[in-house]
Amino acid sequence: MLTLGAESAIYIVEYWGMTLALKWRHSKPYVHNKIDKLLRTSRTSRECKMLTFVRALGVPTPAVHSIDISNHSILMDFIEGQQFKQLVNTSSKKRITTLCHEFGKLLGIMHMSDIVHGDPTTSNAVVDMQSKMWLVDFGLAEKNATIEMKGVDMHLLRRAYETTHWALQEIMLESTMEGYVEISGDDAEAVLSRADEIRERGRYH
Amino acid sequence: MSLLCLGLEGTAHSFGAGVVSSEGKVLSNIWHMLSPVEGGIHPREASRHHSDVGPGIIKRSLKDAGVSHSDIQLVAFSRGPGLGPCLRTTATMARTLAQKLTVPLVGVNHCVAHIEIGCLESGFEDPVTIYVSGGNTQVIAFAGGRFRTFGETLDMALGNMLDVFGRTIGMSFPAGPSIEHAAADGVEYYQLPYSVKGMDLSYSGMLTAAKKLHLEGVPVADICFSIQETAFGMLAEVAERAVAHTKKNEILLTGGVACNNRLTEILEGVAERHGASFHRVSPPLAGDQGAMIAWTGILQHQAGDELPISDSHVMPKWRTDEQDILWRSRF
Repeated sequence: MLTLGAESAIYIVEYWGMTLALKWRHSKPYVHNKIDKLLRTSRTSRECKMLTFVRALGVPTPAVHSIDISNHSILMDFIEGQQFKQLVNTSSKKRITTLCHEFGKLLGIMHMSDIVHGDPTTSNAVVDMQSKMWLVDFGLAEKNATIEMKGVDMHLLRRAYETTHWALQEIMLESTMEGYVEISGDDAEAVLSRADEIRERGRYH
Repeated sequence: MSLLCLGLEGTAHSFGAGVVSSEGKVLSNIWHMLSPVEGGIHPREASRHHSDVGPGIIKRSLKDAGVSHSDIQLVAFSRGPGLGPCLRTTATMARTLAQKLTVPLVGVNHCVAHIEIGCLESGFEDPVTIYVSGGNTQVIAFAGGRFRTFGETLDMALGNMLDVFGRTIGMSFPAGPSIEHAAADGVEYYQLPYSVKGMDLSYSGMLTAAKKLHLEGVPVADICFSIQETAFGMLAEVAERAVAHTKKNEILLTGGVACNNRLTEILEGVAERHGASFHRVSPPLAGDQGAMIAWTGILQHQAGDELPISDSHVMPKWRTDEQDILWRSRF
């Protein structure tokens, strides 16, 4: 097993002579079984569709090789590299801002096609050996996104920087926004001001 | 040398006073909660309640602890976050006491206090805290010198959602225990909006949907059961995300909603899956009370913190992550 996440386990497997990643949404006996089943099924199917859909938009995502909906598992490309989250701790400021810029651009591309990622944290971006950034974990992604949904995406991104990369949060946010605005242009303003509004809705801010 | 701190809590509907020693011994912990006959909590009425019951509760708290005024060496009060009028009433009492007894004053963050008293009780060092009450729904963990909010509700607090639904169907405040009781007889699960956004969540859609089920004549027991399963399932997922993300190995459940057994059972499951220890803060220390303020006041004071009266204005919107946690520098 590679990692045990919140809602899935990822295994590295050899298949058809390739090294692939098997993402399995295991059952959670402590959650009501109807909810558990519904979430595992809908997120597995959603993730498959969205990985493929955003790939066509030019967002690097692992290619899906096979899906077993009854077993709630997806077999996809294994991206050899490092989580962006870990890279932030070991990279130079310049490299971090370049990567943040790219992260912002990828989110911008998705938002311009009315797609939200749903959990845009630095845990869900992988940087490969050629410094190319890949986005993963599309179980919470949605189509036909409204400004509100895009606002939530940007709010979550800011929150992730705040809680995980507190020392660098300002420069990381700034370069991410630059990348985002570069792609989404005039459409960015409405989303970013909505993100601020959503942040204010949190009980005390 | 041991030091005794008197802590005053009064951020919302409850006023409490507790005496705690610097060894972490809770000598007394007295509180009183305003329970309106109907409707919710009105800030003005709550502050009135605090000024009415406050002096009596402080006296009883000292008596219970077996100490006199002159034994108190530190006064701590809940400086925020909370309802402005309630905070001001409580702060006025704290300032007066500190001046009268000529002892230092410390202003404590209410949310931080919930975590610290939970750590004192459980012996946990560095947990992911699930803080759920009528006013708060937050997933908090310590990182980089502060308690950071990894996730929170984007609209209503979990306890607030339970109270409002309970009120709609004629339950009295607080409705959480009545809902838990009713849910025990629920058999059928009705699907309600499950709204998790990253590590944030939203409960307002569920409230609307649950009210609609009630209008449609679905049995109350089934609605309560469905609300609990969905609302707690969402919280479990957010908690799980926080544990997976921070790699911490302790989970602390606190706040008024911590007394719910089903929620506890679900979070125990989360802890087991991730190999983490779990602790639910016991009811006397999980609700809003003075002991948590006193204990956190001691920690803060030991780290060199003191609040001059002239700077002791209350902070109704004081976020958990706005305070440097000096006493946790070892993490």
